[in-house]
Amino acid sequence: MSLLSVRNVHKHFGGLHALRGVSLDLEEGETVAIIGPNGAGKTTLFNLISCEDSPDEGEIVLDGRRIDSLPPHLAAARGLARTFQNGRVFGNLTVLENVLLGAHTRLHGLTDPGSRPLGALFLSLREIACCLIQPRRFRKLEAELAEEAKEILSMFGERLLPRLHQPAYSLSYANRRRTELARALALRPKVLLLDEPTAGMNPTETEEMTEVILQLQRRGQTMLIIEHKLELVMAVAHRVVALDAGAVLVSGHPEQVRSDPKLIEAYVGKTRADLAKENAALALTAEA
Amino acid sequence: MLDQWINGLVIGNLYMLTAIGITQIYGVAGVVNFAHGSVYMFGAYIGWMAITWFGWPLLPAIGLVLAGSALLGLLLERFAVRPFAQAGSTILLLTTIAAGLILDNAAQVIWGPQTQALRNPLPQWYLQLESGIVTLLDLFILACGVTTALILHLFLYRSRAGWAVRATAQDRDAALQMGIDVNGVSRLSFALAGAFAGLSGLLVGLYFNNIYPTMGASATLKGTTAALLGGLGNVPGAILGAYVLGIVEAFSVEWLGASYRNLVAVVLLIGVLLFRPSGLLAPRRALNPEPTAGTFIPHGRPLRFPRWVVPAAAAIAAALPFALVNPYPLQVLAIGWAFALMAVSLNLISGTTGQISLGHAGFVTLGAYASAIFTSRLDLSFAASLIISPLVAAVIGVLLCYPALRLRGQYLAIATLGLGEAISLIALNWDAVTLGPLGISNIQPPAFFGRELVSPVAQYWLALAILLAGVWIVHRLTRSHLGRAFRAVREDEVAARAFGVGLSRYKSLAFGVSAFLAALAGVFLAHSYSYIAPDTFTFALSIQVLTMIILGGRDNLAGAVLGAVLLIALPESIRFLGEYRFILYGLLLIVMLRFRPYGLLNSTK
Amino acid sequence: MKIGNKFVSRFRPAALAVLALALLLSACGKVSGTQNSAQAGAGAQNSPSAPASASAEPSPSAASTEPILIGVTGPLTGDNAEYGKQWRKGFDLALGEINGEGGINGRPLEYVFEDTQSDPKQTPAVAQKFVANPKIVAVIGDFSSPASMAASPIYQRSGLVQLGITNSHPDFTSTGDYIWSNTSNQRDDAPYLAQLAVEVLGKKRLAVLYLNTDWGKTTSDLFIGKAKELGAEIVAQEAYLSNEKDFRPILSKARDANPDALILISYYNDGALIAQQRQAVGLDTTVVGIGSIYSPQFIRLGGEAAEGVFTATRFYPGESREEVQRFVQAYRAKYNEDPDNFSAVAYDGIKILAQVMRQYGAERKAIRDGLEAIQDLDTVLYGKASFGPDRRLENPHFLPLIVKDGKFELWQP
Repeated sequence: MSLLSVRNVHKHFGGLHALRGVSLDLEEGETVAIIGPNGAGKTTLFNLISCEDSPDEGEIVLDGRRIDSLPPHLAAARGLARTFQNGRVFGNLTVLENVLLGAHTRLHGLTDPGSRPLGALFLSLREIACCLIQPRRFRKLEAELAEEAKEILSMFGERLLPRLHQPAYSLSYANRRRTELARALALRPKVLLLDEPTAGMNPTETEEMTEVILQLQRRGQTMLIIEHKLELVMAVAHRVVALDAGAVLVSGHPEQVRSDPKLIEAYVGKTRADLAKENAALALTAEA
Repeated sequence: MLDQWINGLVIGNLYMLTAIGITQIYGVAGVVNFAHGSVYMFGAYIGWMAITWFGWPLLPAIGLVLAGSALLGLLLERFAVRPFAQAGSTILLLTTIAAGLILDNAAQVIWGPQTQALRNPLPQWYLQLESGIVTLLDLFILACGVTTALILHLFLYRSRAGWAVRATAQDRDAALQMGIDVNGVSRLSFALAGAFAGLSGLLVGLYFNNIYPTMGASATLKGTTAALLGGLGNVPGAILGAYVLGIVEAFSVEWLGASYRNLVAVVLLIGVLLFRPSGLLAPRRALNPEPTAGTFIPHGRPLRFPRWVVPAAAAIAAALPFALVNPYPLQVLAIGWAFALMAVSLNLISGTTGQISLGHAGFVTLGAYASAIFTSRLDLSFAASLIISPLVAAVIGVLLCYPALRLRGQYLAIATLGLGEAISLIALNWDAVTLGPLGISNIQPPAFFGRELVSPVAQYWLALAILLAGVWIVHRLTRSHLGRAFRAVREDEVAARAFGVGLSRYKSLAFGVSAFLAALAGVFLAHSYSYIAPDTFTFALSIQVLTMIILGGRDNLAGAVLGAVLLIALPESIRFLGEYRFILYGLLLIVMLRFRPYGLLNSTK
Repeated sequence: MKIGNKFVSRFRPAALAVLALALLLSACGKVSGTQNSAQAGAGAQNSPSAPASASAEPSPSAASTEPILIGVTGPLTGDNAEYGKQWRKGFDLALGEINGEGGINGRPLEYVFEDTQSDPKQTPAVAQKFVANPKIVAVIGDFSSPASMAASPIYQRSGLVQLGITNSHPDFTSTGDYIWSNTSNQRDDAPYLAQLAVEVLGKKRLAVLYLNTDWGKTTSDLFIGKAKELGAEIVAQEAYLSNEKDFRPILSKARDANPDALILISYYNDGALIAQQRQAVGLDTTVVGIGSIYSPQFIRLGGEAAEGVFTATRFYPGESREEVQRFVQAYRAKYNEDPDNFSAVAYDGIKILAQVMRQYGAERKAIRDGLEAIQDLDTVLYGKASFGPDRRLENPHFLPLIVKDGKFELWQP
């Protein structure tokens, strides 16, 4: 059984049919890249998977349980982490605090969302009590998480570690995106969703990020990546899914997908030669 | 029922003028201008001087009012808005409030506090309807309103300058890039809004034959409600909203009684915010636009000071009664500590969690009334009430706020304002429980183990102890993962919830703790004053507390305490200035906001 | 530079805290002896500020020409500022007379007016200030009941008389034996008005509009009780908020109940508005208002609509009683206008204290004891009066008035 299963989802925005029956399966340990021209529905798909939004039709199943009707914070609790297209760090929080927030769902027994109002009340009171009293178990957990955060940040060499206590708004753009990734990793996600992780980065930064993603892959992280940069896609993806106009155009191994004519057409449009061929074919059938 | 329809339209007519002004300014400057009412009031006075002192006929008087109010609007823009344009809408809220304070008190100093008559110079013609009359003045006001709206519309949509205004409203930076003189646009907008505000003031003054220095306050509130009903920034909407408000109010008087009128208006306000935040004319609940990357509003970092400072300060505070023989400063400081607790609690929701609240006085009222009722009628001991009353108040408070928690920014601010007012009005009308306007008197003084704490020193220590407890609680919470979660909610709600921070839950948590602590302050004050009434803790108090945390530094615990002490001590120490006291207060506020916009205890980086 | 910055930023918060304390302590210096009634443009007749130290002094009566201070707490700014202004006129007139007669046993009498905006959050602080100033021997104030009562416990505990001149909350004087009032109890005002409306004017169907404050509610309840007793029917009873301006809906409602009289439990501002707006809805009945509408402002603001309105008052400048005429002439001479209820009670308040002080001494406890013991005080409002066991003046009398030709006149049935 796949770790993540998207089954025939549809999404409408007013008159726009943004996703038309998209299906996708993600196995554990796989890295799947989603590509396609702008407006194809890639981020919409991400938003549905991370429960930012809900599909009009279809299902999304994570680890055997449906998640499509959950609110985003519960999806996170189930093991989904994501980064955002525009990069959304918490500006006035430090790098360390940003990463620690990623681990919020791992404070077990503390941050569990209650299902019924009374349960939620009790849990909230317990959470407050814990913060006030700060029992040893709790402090130990916090300390462990802090250590782990530093470990995650060390993946980026000396880029973020020396800036542990700096507010995120003071970081360079690339560093902010790295912080965002670190935050997502702190959740120890079953599935990691990366929305254009190298958008706006120069070639050196992109190469570094590619290395990081490969490192994650080697650790067995299951990932779904939206990317435009084909070199990155070729380097990291086990499989590629190409979307166009809300539907899956083609899906398969990177090499295979790359030279698929339908994909080229979707990105680039038809060549004159192709157009001429098509017109000729039409003329023939009309005559006949 | 016809006449209630007419009554509603007539009063709606009056609301319309103010609503148009408020909505137009919001549309351009993105701020609800709390000084609007003051310009409205000045317009009335200018007109009054023209008509009563100089003997001018109506039209030239109107001309003078338009000119004078426009000028006032320009001054407002120059000194209370433009220097703070980059500081965010919260600061602008405060500077306009401070400006309003200055203007209101200046008017009192200039013309005296008494109500003045403003005779209607129009001929006494009227239209006799079945069961009521419509006067020439009513029609004149209607004509003014419609003309205003038309002129505005033509200006905004058919002129180049108007196009510039609209562009600036949408995106100031982009407009700047396009070569639009955004400062000029700002000036123009405030001048226009000022002119209309002044005109409304004059017309309303004529209508009621009645002007006085504080007439702007309710005008602002009603005008804002009407503007919201129509959708902020939507001029025809403001007209519709005003009439709807008027009619709703007229019928609520008919069915419920005049005393419920404002409560119904507030409920309507909150309802609109929750279900139709873009106004009654909008087709559907509009989605909030996504903030673009990199638009951070830095808070400034809290100044760090060595660990011994806080315990030392607490020790000094505790030891103060031994140094001061005079009970007067002790009394002032005791109140100061109570306010500091309110500030600390408000800081938790507004500073740390980023939820602007203008209704904090509501929580204080809940706590005060709960304790007064429990100790007077249910014979609960003070010590028990000290814990139970805030708990009850917190639960009620969270339940009331819960629906509004999904609102953001200014909408949330206005909703909380409405809720604060609603609590006051419920206290006023729910006679059976709260004794209504009579208030609850003879509340017993604080007592522990049978010993009453009545001396100023004892009450001082009690207040200090409660404050320190509150500070400890907030400190522990904000240093923990909970603080992190709250700040994440403030910084970016979308990202926060993507990482497991359920927004409703954590906002409710923040509100709950905040309400508990504010209510605790209310309990102390109820037993200290020995008498509370529905108007003991008003909107003015909410604003005062908000000012304290803005002054001290948002999300800064020490700043909240310092801000409270300063703002309580300040008016007391300039008491000798008499009538000029609050003018100076307003000026100091603006100066402090200008030079330390992040607050006294946050660095200016 | 680096060290300097670190030093500064480290100690800035502490410095700020010290600044805050300094501000506060500087305020202490102004506690005792400063005459800070706001003088700006008001032309008050108080003597200039007398510097004094903050420490307690030996009994003030030792110095034979030292002024005696009365503390006044009330609104000089804010919504009720106009009433504070009226008070001052009454105070100043009274003081002029008292000091002209040689003061209190040779010592001049003065007052210190602290602005509280009639705000219950400010009155306790001012109360402490007064309590701490040994020169202040009695306090007058505050304007509204909530403001007054918030401070009462402090006055009671510290043994400083608080004389309320405009608060009529039934519980006001119950805080303790240092709390006194020369306002009439609503228990007397309201029933008289009911008699006027029902018995004298013969109205049987009453529509009652009242201000939704403690004063308004209590007065209205008392009025209605008496009116029903006298056989009238209350066809409408509507409370309105104190900042209300638009009375059309409520008047429409009242009109629909078909009353033959409109009863107003209002102040003069709202009263004038209601009177004006009743024509707009076609409510043409007799209007009877409680004594607080009695003020030249009512007529000024109500214009023609005020014509024919009835009221009952304890104080009317046209009343032939000797003490009234003396007061009115003196007031007219000084201010060139007629006094209203607020200036009259203020005048009386000072005069009452002066009489007590002359007979029993100008110390705090003596004044309290004097108020209890004194009989037959000379007052404008009540003529000769004494305080009852509830620490309020007893047996006020009332006069019916009607607005005629733009003036209030005594009404003869």
